[in-house]
Amino acid sequence: QKKNLSNCLEDLPSKAKVVICGGGVMGAAVAYHLSKRGWGGDTVIIEKERVGQGSRWHSSGLVGAFKPSLAQVKIAQSSIQLLKDLESQGKETGWKQCGSLLIARTRDRMTVYRRMKSQSVSWGIPCELVNPKKCQEIWPLLNVDDVLGGLWIPGDGVGDPYLFCMSLMEEAIKNGVGVKEECSITAVHSKNGRVSGVETTQGPIECQYFVNCAGFWARQVGQLAKPQVKVPLLPCEHYYLHTKQIGNLDPMTPVLRDPDGYIYLRERDGCILAGGFEPIAKPVYEEEIENSTQRCLPEDWDHFHVLLQELLKRVPSLNQSVLHKLCNGLEAFSPDCKWIVGEAPEIFNYHVAAGMKTVGISAAGGVAEATVDEIVEGYTKYDMYELDISRFLGLHNNKRFLRDRVKEAPGIHYGLPYPFHEFETGRNLRLSPIYPTLRDKGAVFGQVMGYERPTWFESVEKEADMPRPFKIAHTKTFGKPHWFETVQREYWACREAIGLADYSSFTKIDIQSQGNEVVDLLQYLCSNDVDVPVGSIIHTGMQNERGGYENDCSLARISENHYMMIAPTIQQTRCKVWMRRHLPVNGSVTLSDVTSMYTAICILGPFTRNLLSELTDTDLSPSNFPFFTFKELDVGLANGVRAMNLTHTGELGYVLYIPNEFALHVYNRLISQGEKYGITHVGYYAARSLRVEKFFAFWGQDLDTMTTPLECGRTWRVKFDKDIPFIGREALLKQREMGVTRQYVQLLLTDHEHELDLWSWGGEPIYRDGNYCGQTTTTSYGFTFKKQVCLGFVQNLDKDGIPQKVTNDYILSGHYEIDIAGIRYAAKVNLHSPNLPTKYPDKERDVYQATRKLHDPTQFLGRHYQP
Amino acid sequence: QDDSVTVLPSPQEVTATLRKNEFNKEFTYGTIKSYDSNQLASNNPIEDTRSEGQCIFTPGFLMGVFDGHGGPACAQVISKRMLKYIAASLLSVHNLEKIKKQEVMDNLIETFNDKADIVQDLKVIYEKSFRKYLDDLSKLHEEGDVDVQTCLEKSILHLDDDLSKEVLDPYSTDGFINHKTLSVALSGAVACIAYIDGPHLYVANIGDCNAVLGTMTEENEWISKKITKEHNSENIDELKRIWNEHPENERNTIIRRDRLLGELAPLRSLGDFRYKWSADMLGKLAVPLIGQRAIPANYHTPPYLTAKPDVFYHRLTPKDKFLIIASDGIWDMMTPLQSVKLVGEHMKGKVFFNPLKLPKKNIQLGDINELLLHRKESLKSKPKDRNAATHLIRHAIGGTEYGVDHSRLAHLLSLSPDVSRMFRDDMTVTVIYFDSEYLRQCPA
Repeated sequence: QKKNLSNCLEDLPSKAKVVICGGGVMGAAVAYHLSKRGWGGDTVIIEKERVGQGSRWHSSGLVGAFKPSLAQVKIAQSSIQLLKDLESQGKETGWKQCGSLLIARTRDRMTVYRRMKSQSVSWGIPCELVNPKKCQEIWPLLNVDDVLGGLWIPGDGVGDPYLFCMSLMEEAIKNGVGVKEECSITAVHSKNGRVSGVETTQGPIECQYFVNCAGFWARQVGQLAKPQVKVPLLPCEHYYLHTKQIGNLDPMTPVLRDPDGYIYLRERDGCILAGGFEPIAKPVYEEEIENSTQRCLPEDWDHFHVLLQELLKRVPSLNQSVLHKLCNGLEAFSPDCKWIVGEAPEIFNYHVAAGMKTVGISAAGGVAEATVDEIVEGYTKYDMYELDISRFLGLHNNKRFLRDRVKEAPGIHYGLPYPFHEFETGRNLRLSPIYPTLRDKGAVFGQVMGYERPTWFESVEKEADMPRPFKIAHTKTFGKPHWFETVQREYWACREAIGLADYSSFTKIDIQSQGNEVVDLLQYLCSNDVDVPVGSIIHTGMQNERGGYENDCSLARISENHYMMIAPTIQQTRCKVWMRRHLPVNGSVTLSDVTSMYTAICILGPFTRNLLSELTDTDLSPSNFPFFTFKELDVGLANGVRAMNLTHTGELGYVLYIPNEFALHVYNRLISQGEKYGITHVGYYAARSLRVEKFFAFWGQDLDTMTTPLECGRTWRVKFDKDIPFIGREALLKQREMGVTRQYVQLLLTDHEHELDLWSWGGEPIYRDGNYCGQTTTTSYGFTFKKQVCLGFVQNLDKDGIPQKVTNDYILSGHYEIDIAGIRYAAKVNLHSPNLPTKYPDKERDVYQATRKLHDPTQFLGRHYQP
Repeated sequence: QDDSVTVLPSPQEVTATLRKNEFNKEFTYGTIKSYDSNQLASNNPIEDTRSEGQCIFTPGFLMGVFDGHGGPACAQVISKRMLKYIAASLLSVHNLEKIKKQEVMDNLIETFNDKADIVQDLKVIYEKSFRKYLDDLSKLHEEGDVDVQTCLEKSILHLDDDLSKEVLDPYSTDGFINHKTLSVALSGAVACIAYIDGPHLYVANIGDCNAVLGTMTEENEWISKKITKEHNSENIDELKRIWNEHPENERNTIIRRDRLLGELAPLRSLGDFRYKWSADMLGKLAVPLIGQRAIPANYHTPPYLTAKPDVFYHRLTPKDKFLIIASDGIWDMMTPLQSVKLVGEHMKGKVFFNPLKLPKKNIQLGDINELLLHRKESLKSKPKDRNAATHLIRHAIGGTEYGVDHSRLAHLLSLSPDVSRMFRDDMTVTVIYFDSEYLRQCPA
């Protein structure tokens, strides 16, 4: 039933605005959306084989709206809308709104569904929790003996990727897009860091934009660019089971997903099509897979058996069904099992839309829309960091790393989404010099950007065997976690003694110039005034034109024309790209990534000054080394330690950036001198708990490219009072005038029992006076408040769901509740960082804090003090 | 003298070393379903050789293992020549005459894993000897049934005789000593050759290699049938034979320290003309090359050594599953029963190296599940090596009470050749699998 695409190009044009590589459903959708914006005549698709070549046997066509995050949900919803639109115009897409049923075998899975049900309010996905009896009514062939319940999503359905692709192509061609089949890209050229053209087997094309929609081959296509674009993907075997005709199978049989059995089933043409995402996948070692025929491998029944057993258990009548075909089609997965979207860090105007991990049809419409938004408008409608290609580093593209990791990646798709997920493979990659010591001292690790970061410290017996084995953090509950007491102990060490944490993974960038070009650049990039005295540290956002945060960082002014930037770990690729985009073309400002040159040790707590004083001759008194300043210190016998008098969590303390070769020495001195103060190793979870309780926002968790400083109470950190232009200034000025429509708040749950109730882990809906008003971002248990603490954004939605202006009065006059998996807990709202009671008040630093009131925080909405 | 730190090889490196000489061949029809072979050197260069082939003008396969000593020359040469000599002896008169007349002779045997080559000048000599051999064969040929046992014996003895003549003939005519043929004649090799034709299994054995048959009983238990009896000092019949062939007064000198004339462990072999030629001849040919010690002490009544094989016959039954031919490097480390059990277990697990092929059309998913459950149980016993010869060598070297021990394997494999030969000999294994279905249908 395959058809040929008509009106394909005979000859290649010598020039185009956009070249799309790949004539699959993704490329077709990008072309379609471009053509809708009037770019059709300037767009060319290059397809190596024929359009829609991918085998019909090797796709499931499942379309589901529920995804783990807002960006993914928005994308899926946009895809569904596109299917419906085409269908209503009489274009074939195979769209069939048969609904989907998700079933649970375990209580934790049921909790996930309850959380989804409560989240569905924020995301606008109608759904319904159902009992096992109802599950069987929806899917009569189902065995529900071990089923606890399910989630019924009537708006889901299935589509036909082939038909969808062809219809999109036909529409695109109608709107002027050129499609060239049987032509391969052989090189992608860049000039001044921007895409300048491509070479193909049929000649060159000059172009301004390139979109890598090569799907399975996206990694190889990335390698054709100069400089090489890293698209970390690796193929795994992936199976589709087709039965022969089954009598009386309703064509509207819903899609069934049984994630605890890793499987899904659907009806197709009177047969069952089934597949799944096995917990341990089989990566492919064949190096050369050139075409779609080679993408189909002989089936390995032994490997598929895991899924077959679950299918037969779930639908026992399948035992008597006759096999039609088992297809083993290769599918490429990214290291975190998420889509790869966005502008490549290596070349401007090179966009990637790949790694759709078998659900291309759910993703294509939305991903294409976002990609086209980015090309045409310069930014997407919602924050996409989670899917952005800049979430990776070079290490993620290492083939051996991918081979290791990809065994685990597909299983994530149906795995239980417990909080703080950790991968088991591809570990022990980036290690700080004190890593072996911390491991032996009981560190249990979490991985961020390939870096092993202690999450908490187990107590170890003195005689324990050394070296201690490497241990990976896990939470595996939605209630009180097993590490609660451990983190509590670490928390109190930071508040009442001394805590020592490894901050080495933080992104560290040196920015300098000969003259004052660096100051000019940073004044333009940063919303805060960075022209501070040498030795000061300034906390600032880097906004985009809309006022949103592209980066949130601390800048230490090392010398007149030299700053050291400390940014979140996950910004390592991203913030460099953002800055590079704005660097003076004459090369007068240099950026150097010194992340790997320094080990960062943070000491937190009331006695940190006493401790550090014992190890250095420098006078650390507030008059000589005030809060929020920087000094290069000698510590122990080492020198050149960049000490910053701050902690990023609101505690008193210092972050020491130590040249790597001195790291162990300084660490040993701190530990031995710190013993009398009760120095304790602390992990990331304790630090996180401190900062959530102190109401500190973090980029990537609370702040994103859509959030402005005015919305998160940081107005006083914007240089409105100075006549210095910076990116986003106009947007922020306008917002200051108009007022904000969302506000970052802290909510303390007043009737939540942390021992028994399910915890909030982020993403829970917030209700104000019984009406939905927003979602939580990050949450933690507050060990001082002895309450669950949620941070999140509150909106003022009118009866049509349109956000209205939010004022302090509006925030403070409401009665709040947080919905955790279907139960609403009363919450007390805070607009400002609370004053936590402490046994050890620090008079000097309090005085120093007071002096900063020159900003008059009451003048603006958000005035909680945040270093 | 070597005080550098020895880094033990990793499991992957050990596996790579063990598998370096692996060979496997499958056949579509006949008694032999497939065979696995492998070699592991201890000496440098290895003194073992092997060759396998299918006779072209007659039905039947020849599979040989050769264990050289006193240098690799003799074993290398006979592994290249032996199968051809035997194949020629089995030829019908018609074919023999036809081939004799050919300018360029047809191959008599198709060999499977033949990588080594003979140097050109020796090739010429060997070709000449072989033509002479064919002439002799046609003179001797009697019409009627070919007696395989006699053929095996005669052809092997003829080859051994040719090894001698290729030295003696040029010397007696021109006084010319060919050092290449001489070094072949002065080194030696034991041999074990199986000839398999339909259900008929013949094994010709010279020296201390062994062939062991793996047979499955009615109760599904493995039993080993040792086909050969090695010719060494533990073999009392062999000792009696030697004593009887020489005067009574040599009785105390002929076998000393369990060795022939106190020197040679196997009591029969090919080559080794230091124990076959007259003392006078040795004085002329061998002494100039290797000195006075070329003539063994108490060398009174040569020849002391023969290449005459013992030829064993066994009619294969469907119960006979495989034949293991191996050099003494293996048999020093394991008993025939152990080897049969290891190969038997391996056979069971080997099936699962191949992906499941669904047996019939229109199969139900439930039936596939049953099949897979059964496979899953068996997959647990899936061996590490696909090749049974490798499997045997791995166990021979690394085997302990609790299975194969990596550190033991790694240690033994990382020894230098001069140390290694004290712990283990060169190992050569060929495992031949029989097609039970074919044997079941073989006419009596």
